[in-house]
Amino acid sequence: MNRLIAIFFGMALVNNMVLVKFLGLCPFFGVSKKTKSAVSMGIAVTLVMLVASAVTWPIYYYLLVPYGVEVMKTVIFILVIASLVQIIEMAIKRTNLTLYNALGIYLPLITTNCAVLGITFINVDQSYTFWEALVAALGAGSGFLLVLLIMSGIRERLEYADTPRAFRGSPIAFITAMLLGLAFLAFKGMI
Amino acid sequence: MSQAIAVVLLTVVGFAMGLAIFLANRLLPKEDKTLEEAARIKEFLPGADCGACGYPGCFAYAQAVAKDKQVFVKNPCPTLSQDKEGMKRLEEYLGLKAETKVGKKAVVHCTGRSEVIADYHGVTTCAAAVQVASGYKECPYACLGFGDCVAVCPTGAISIDPERRVAFVDWEKCIGCGQCVAACPQGLIELVPGDTPQYLGCNYQSLRDVPGRKRCPDGCIHCHICEKVSNGAVGWDEKKDLPVFTQTPVPTAIEKCPRKIIKKTVAYTEPEEEETAAVGS
Repeated sequence: MNRLIAIFFGMALVNNMVLVKFLGLCPFFGVSKKTKSAVSMGIAVTLVMLVASAVTWPIYYYLLVPYGVEVMKTVIFILVIASLVQIIEMAIKRTNLTLYNALGIYLPLITTNCAVLGITFINVDQSYTFWEALVAALGAGSGFLLVLLIMSGIRERLEYADTPRAFRGSPIAFITAMLLGLAFLAFKGMI
Repeated sequence: MSQAIAVVLLTVVGFAMGLAIFLANRLLPKEDKTLEEAARIKEFLPGADCGACGYPGCFAYAQAVAKDKQVFVKNPCPTLSQDKEGMKRLEEYLGLKAETKVGKKAVVHCTGRSEVIADYHGVTTCAAAVQVASGYKECPYACLGFGDCVAVCPTGAISIDPERRVAFVDWEKCIGCGQCVAACPQGLIELVPGDTPQYLGCNYQSLRDVPGRKRCPDGCIHCHICEKVSNGAVGWDEKKDLPVFTQTPVPTAIEKCPRKIIKKTVAYTEPEEEETAAVGS
């Protein structure tokens, strides 16, 4: 149990996907202008990470390892994740239209998001067990959601701040991201 | 050897995923056709997104109608109901007849004749003006005429009399969405059934009386005369200490009112036509 908790917080804070591992940077800047869309994106990513981990883990250990073709994991994982997201999107669209409208375009956006692919690789590289892999995916997704939420909150307030003209828009967002990264550096060595 | 396995494996996984998508497509319940239907229905709607029907916007209403056509029969779009032609087109498209329902209309309980006692130079919204000693007029309940209600009205039914600085609702245009009711900081606007023949042009609530403030020449003095002369057709709101009118026209009360502030609406008919009055109520 302790190990699971350590993995969860390790993935969420210490090895944060965005600010420490530098994965999933495009949604970090692209979808962090509004809190509402940031939360939708974060939830969608968490969901896909969970499902992707749950599916790629058995594929790796029961298909790739026995035949000795671990080298194929990148292409196989991309293929599997992309088709999975398609199926999930289809299922949500046909069963729960409200949820589909809420997640909307974000689901197809993350079909080949590097953060999603990254978590599946981390699961394999760290030789996590199945449940540890799931917890790691949940942690990574929560960390992603947290960072997106913080970033969007700051950027919403920045809209009203008296920023020097040269820094308005993206430059100040990059500076914000840098400061956020520094702040998350403080978690280093905690676990 | 391992290259061959890799190729076979990739092919197999690719086919498996393709098959999974195919199966998911087949086995999952069919996509709602209501969205396309709703998009077509929306073409017939006014697109004011006023919310008078109770749905958040015209598209939400169209979706509800597409899902269950009875929604249109029971709760026809109040804005479209104003436009007979447009209503006919939608009824023909749906093949249904909407129940004719008397829509709600807004009335402003103020005639604006209260004396101006202060020179207000602040932000020109009622919400701001009312913060300063209940407004710049003698009466603390008076309409301040900056048009907070005009700004929210989706059909432009409200106009401001620049002399008296009071809002007036044009019932021809009013769709009864109630946005002005929420916007008025004085709480002067009320939604009444569209066949109400009269309303009180005052909102002076004696229980919230402000000392040292006089009533305006049109202020209700809470004399109960309208209640007494109308044989029960006029009720009394004890909380506000103001009369409450029903759909029955009360010409005697209108005449006997010492302040002459019971205003006729466009729905007013002389009570000789007993039958119409009975149908109306």
